Amino acid sequence: MNELEQLVADIGERSLEGRHGRPAFPDAFDEQLWSTLEETGLSRLTSTEDAGPTEAATLLTGLARSAAAVPIAETDLLALFLAAKADLTVPDSGPLAVVLADADLHDGTITGTAHDVLWANSAPVVVAARTAGGVYVGLVNAEPTATSHNLAGEPRGSFEFEFDAGTKLDVKVADEFTRRGAWARCVQVIGALDAARDLTVAHTSERVQFGRPLSKFQAVQHSLADMAGEIERARAATDLAIVAATDFGFDSAATDYAVTVAKVAAGRAVESVTRIAHQLHGAIGVTIEHRLWLFTMRARSWIDDFGTTTYYARRLGRIALAADDPWQIVVSCPEPH
Amino acid sequence: MTEFDALCANDAELAEIRAAIREFLAADREKFGWEPAIDSWLARWDGDFSARLADAGFVGLTIPTEYGGRGLSHLHRYVVTEELLAHGAPVAAHWFADRQFAPSLLSYGSDEQRSEFLPVIAAGRLHAAIGMSEHDAGSDLAAVKTRANQVDGGWQLSGTKVWTSGAHLAQRIVVLARTSPLDPEHRHAGFSQFFVALDSPNITIDPIVQMGGEHHFNEVTFDEVFVPDSDVLGNVGDGWRQVTSELGFERSGPERILSTVTLICSAIRAIRALPDDADDGTAAAVGDLVARMISLRQLSISVARALAGGEDAATRAALVKDLGTRFEQDSVELVADLLDRLDRRTPEAARLHELLDTARLHSPLFTLRGGTNEVLRGVVARGLGVR
Repeated sequence: MNELEQLVADIGERSLEGRHGRPAFPDAFDEQLWSTLEETGLSRLTSTEDAGPTEAATLLTGLARSAAAVPIAETDLLALFLAAKADLTVPDSGPLAVVLADADLHDGTITGTAHDVLWANSAPVVVAARTAGGVYVGLVNAEPTATSHNLAGEPRGSFEFEFDAGTKLDVKVADEFTRRGAWARCVQVIGALDAARDLTVAHTSERVQFGRPLSKFQAVQHSLADMAGEIERARAATDLAIVAATDFGFDSAATDYAVTVAKVAAGRAVESVTRIAHQLHGAIGVTIEHRLWLFTMRARSWIDDFGTTTYYARRLGRIALAADDPWQIVVSCPEPH
Repeated sequence: MTEFDALCANDAELAEIRAAIREFLAADREKFGWEPAIDSWLARWDGDFSARLADAGFVGLTIPTEYGGRGLSHLHRYVVTEELLAHGAPVAAHWFADRQFAPSLLSYGSDEQRSEFLPVIAAGRLHAAIGMSEHDAGSDLAAVKTRANQVDGGWQLSGTKVWTSGAHLAQRIVVLARTSPLDPEHRHAGFSQFFVALDSPNITIDPIVQMGGEHHFNEVTFDEVFVPDSDVLGNVGDGWRQVTSELGFERSGPERILSTVTLICSAIRAIRALPDDADDGTAAAVGDLVARMISLRQLSISVARALAGGEDAATRAALVKDLGTRFEQDSVELVADLLDRLDRRTPEAARLHELLDTARLHSPLFTLRGGTNEVLRGVVARGLGVR
């Protein structure tokens, strides 16, 4: 473990224990954790510190292993990215929520409605408003007209927004925003799946039935191996996306290719890992008092953010169908990077 | 060089050899007219092709130059291997000599053995078979009963090996045999490896014909076959360690992912050639197939890089073989679904259905050969600490 990994693991572990390992449902923003992240300079790692996607990935995966209830990807990789693009002033500290929403432009004013925005009730929201002509970015203190939560209980809010149109950005910004979001979710999903696997290995090693630990049954061992395989495959694809973003940035053909692949690989892994983890935990795994759902349901919710698995599969399929030689798409990204 | 290109096994040096092998394959196919095959590393034996491939410098890549090889890295070999498979080239004749026997010689062979055999392997002219499994020793390889007794100047070998691909065409066979009686407390002790000339007296080779009528496998019977001391591979009594220590490359290699790649890529091209754009469902099905291939390849390359760097990647290598071969199997029926879109009366559809038929006949083998997936999952479980 490198120094950053260790730091993140320690912070995450403390946060999880601090919530007694049993957060309420729906979940709430973890203020204690957020202030620790600010004190350690991790809250805005890539936007203010000298750090890139590799470090961001370490942070996101590590915090996901602890089911951290903070908008860390939203603040650093998404909201501050948009703010910088649009030259928008945002608070120097504190969490930020973020959304890409369709909007109208009338007489210099942007109006629209944002639906089911994660953490909108806990943080100011940076809104990327997509209009017919381009993208406008504004800071909104949302007053949700409706609140909900994702499967893991992370709170969401829907709200109407209105702000003065500032700098008009090219619609390509929306593409990069979505790519960054999908990238972050893949990285986070790997952390959540790692945690689900660790819990499953521990549970099957401790739980005794028929006079021996479950993990001594070959059928159980094979399911555990299956689970590990799916995670490693998703990790290999996600690692390529991390390296692509590190080498070429998020606005590159290589990162677009690698994120598309990773989103499909991680998406398929979520299906099987979630199924196996719950199967091997037995009924205890679906109770609120057990930690498992913190990870399986986060993975399940997150992987649908910024485009579903099928959406990315379709996208990759169209890339392969457009290629002169589909094998070349397997080897590397289709365009020069 | 970027790390991204390195992870794609496509950095400058590897891209160069990739381009070179593609160029060779295109020209060779043009001239000699072979058709891209399914599962070509088992099913397409062509000694002339192997010789031409070697003459062009694409066999024995990791063999040091002093023995006639190229002295290149495992990743160079990885790239050439995956391109050969992706193009369905007829590589079976030199396959086992290049993949298994050369690394064994480099690790355990005597100076004389290396000088005698490595240049022939690098020349693509050594055709070898692997004699491991027996009637009563499949997944449980330690149950091997073939025995070698020491005699004057060598060993006398008796027993029967099965599933030896290409033994009816090969010159040599690497045999795992007991050289000490079974010790039930130490089942893996007392094995040795022999590199037996297949034209030795007292060897009988009988075909084991596959369903569908193909003949690749054989039953090879040794009835008091004399093997000189000079054909003992490595140390007497060390056979188990020798055959298991280098499984990582074999388990994690491109041949565990790409046995059906020619079928997959041909199907994608055929759909592309249809007059209408592919519908969303078809595009997603293609994308799912391609994503599985890319992510498995990424895992396989990460293991190859770890192994080349001297790291222990045994568990992840077992994972690649389990996941990769199951993908190979799944891909057959996924492609069958895609082919449903084609008009079967066209020549291209007919060719694809022929490939599909072959794939269906070979597909049960994907998850069996070189160690069943059930055994591999046991290896993975041990890596997880539950065994």
